[in-house]
Amino acid sequence: MADSVIEVEKLRRTYGSFVAVEDVSFEVSRGEIFGYLGANGAGKSTTIRMLCGLLKPSGGRARVAGCEVGGNTVRLRSRIGYMSQKFSLYLDLSVAANIEFFGGAYGLYGKTLQRRRDEILERMGLQEHRKTTTADLPGGTRQRLALGTALLHEPEIVFLDEPTAGVDPASRRVFWTIIRQLAGEGTTVFVTTHYMDEAEYCARIGLMVQGRLVALDSPRGLKSAWVPGRVISVHTQDLEGIRRTLSDRPGIFAIEPFGSTVHVRFDSDVWQLPALETLLATDGRNSLIVEPADVSLEDVFLAAVASGGTKTQHEGSPTSSDTNGAGT
Amino acid sequence: MSFWTSIVHVLLRVGAMAAKEAAHIRRDPQTLAMALVMPVGLLLLFGYGVTFDLEHLPIVMVDQDHTAVSRGVVRNFAASRELIVSSELESVAAGESLMRNCQAVAIVVIPEHFSRKLARGEKAEMQLIVDGADASTATQTINKADAITNSAVPIPAATPVAGVARLIVDTWTLYNPAGRSALLVVPGLIALILAMVCVLLTALTVAREWERGSMEQLFTTPIRRGELILGKLLPYIALGCMAVLLVLAVGAWVFEVPIRGSLPALATASLLFLIGMLAQGLFVSVATKNQMVATEIGTMTSLLPIQLLAGFVFPVANMPKPLQVIAQIMPATHFIASLRGILLRGNGFAEQWPHMLALLAFAFVMVLVSSAKFRRRLD
Repeated sequence: MADSVIEVEKLRRTYGSFVAVEDVSFEVSRGEIFGYLGANGAGKSTTIRMLCGLLKPSGGRARVAGCEVGGNTVRLRSRIGYMSQKFSLYLDLSVAANIEFFGGAYGLYGKTLQRRRDEILERMGLQEHRKTTTADLPGGTRQRLALGTALLHEPEIVFLDEPTAGVDPASRRVFWTIIRQLAGEGTTVFVTTHYMDEAEYCARIGLMVQGRLVALDSPRGLKSAWVPGRVISVHTQDLEGIRRTLSDRPGIFAIEPFGSTVHVRFDSDVWQLPALETLLATDGRNSLIVEPADVSLEDVFLAAVASGGTKTQHEGSPTSSDTNGAGT
Repeated sequence: MSFWTSIVHVLLRVGAMAAKEAAHIRRDPQTLAMALVMPVGLLLLFGYGVTFDLEHLPIVMVDQDHTAVSRGVVRNFAASRELIVSSELESVAAGESLMRNCQAVAIVVIPEHFSRKLARGEKAEMQLIVDGADASTATQTINKADAITNSAVPIPAATPVAGVARLIVDTWTLYNPAGRSALLVVPGLIALILAMVCVLLTALTVAREWERGSMEQLFTTPIRRGELILGKLLPYIALGCMAVLLVLAVGAWVFEVPIRGSLPALATASLLFLIGMLAQGLFVSVATKNQMVATEIGTMTSLLPIQLLAGFVFPVANMPKPLQVIAQIMPATHFIASLRGILLRGNGFAEQWPHMLALLAFAFVMVLVSSAKFRRRLD
């Protein structure tokens, strides 16, 4: 990648004999929204904390915004913004006081500080809360304030560690609108999440399972690699009946309940949709509604976790093959 | 970046940190109260209430001499503030029964021929029988009785002075002739306040940052460790200085505690002690990272030992050897000693330098240890 702002090579972190992050390698380019997906304890936060210079890597190397991690941390810190998983601004101070303090911490002062404070308040929709004590803000608003303080010094990269955990859907939507605006302006966004719908917004997603980066690709690429085939949604409660009809046939990958419907995933080279419909309409099931459905990232995630990350079919990115080699 | 611009940046960051910390204090009146009201409250409490001076100790006079001189001695005892003559009896045995019932702490016996011996220039003896069950009361009673006797017994004009050991005890209390507690308490109290403000408040405020996760947030900003600590502590140092001045002022106005010695020496000793205590507080908070544990450990390692070991209440010289060793390591011991020297004895650097050296050594070691610990705890 020509314009990569994050370059990670065999980054590793161990705690005693426990390997939290195992030889992770990837690159992120400028202005990209890079998602980091994984279960709790999969090593997402550990990776972020190493990239922000909060944690020393046990091995490997990483370059962030042109600075070697573990080198000149002051220069690195002035180029990145970090929003931690736990809300860590000062609850007893007002919104403006929090912004002003962190602005000062980043070396802003006087007119510049005032201008940036007002810009951030406006961008995050916090003008009316300017004098509110932070403890009195609702969850979603607090997260916007936290994001705002991480952006005060106009960093090249922002690291957001589960920024929308526990936030209501409307606020999450607002939050992601801001994130996409940022990326549009050229700020690189490195975000961890476990909301699959949010992960769809990312240009690329790294999938962490037990400390290893098992996949790295665009959402579409991940889906075709991990959950191949097409999916149809069959409007029926009769899961067993459909299983009887289809499960022994070639080219059928999976038959799974999905809400009040049944999802059937099949190899589109083997099956055409009309042929499947005809087959399903037998066995006394007339007038079945069958419609095409999407593979969700959740399916990808579950497939990856179920396989323990030892999958070979995906070749979407240069780094994913690295990570695989050891697994298979 | 030139040297001067980087200095400006350091100052900006320290200033931002200090302003933030001051805002915390403004928003939390309890901290202010703890730092300013409590010390003055303690001073008044110790000064008025918990006085170590015993007053109105009941004593029994047994005057077997019945002369003008012996009557004079009795009158002098009766006139004292510390002792009151609860009864005058003829026999020692009657006095002893009062003492057994705790109605008297001492019996003063003026034997027959007391004034005659005195007039002849012979050795005239009075007897003081003291209830030794309460050692501290007994000691004080003996001291007061001595003082009264010395001033009470008249020296007859015709007395040949040479070669006569007429007075057995000759006590002269310097610097604090009235033996007022306030004079003893104020130096100890200043140490206590500084320790409290520094160790406890520092430990609390730094531990709070760890506990809330804001310490991590701070570490992602360009603020350096040293700037963080300096900025964080500045408001508390100011608070500590205000508290000390307040206690000195209240001590001076209400209890007439003097400041006889060198002011620079006073400031130096206080500052050295302050730095040592701040470093100790920092160490506690880095080691615990938890406000509650930090409070407990802060109290255990600073307030309690200062009250018990540092010579605030109990003289260090009276302690068992192992405790004396601990007391000698504690900076508060040296700080209280030099405060007493400076405030009461009018000392300066010339007399107090060994104590200041001890304070400096403690501060130096503590700063080293705590900053090493602070650095290591990141990973």
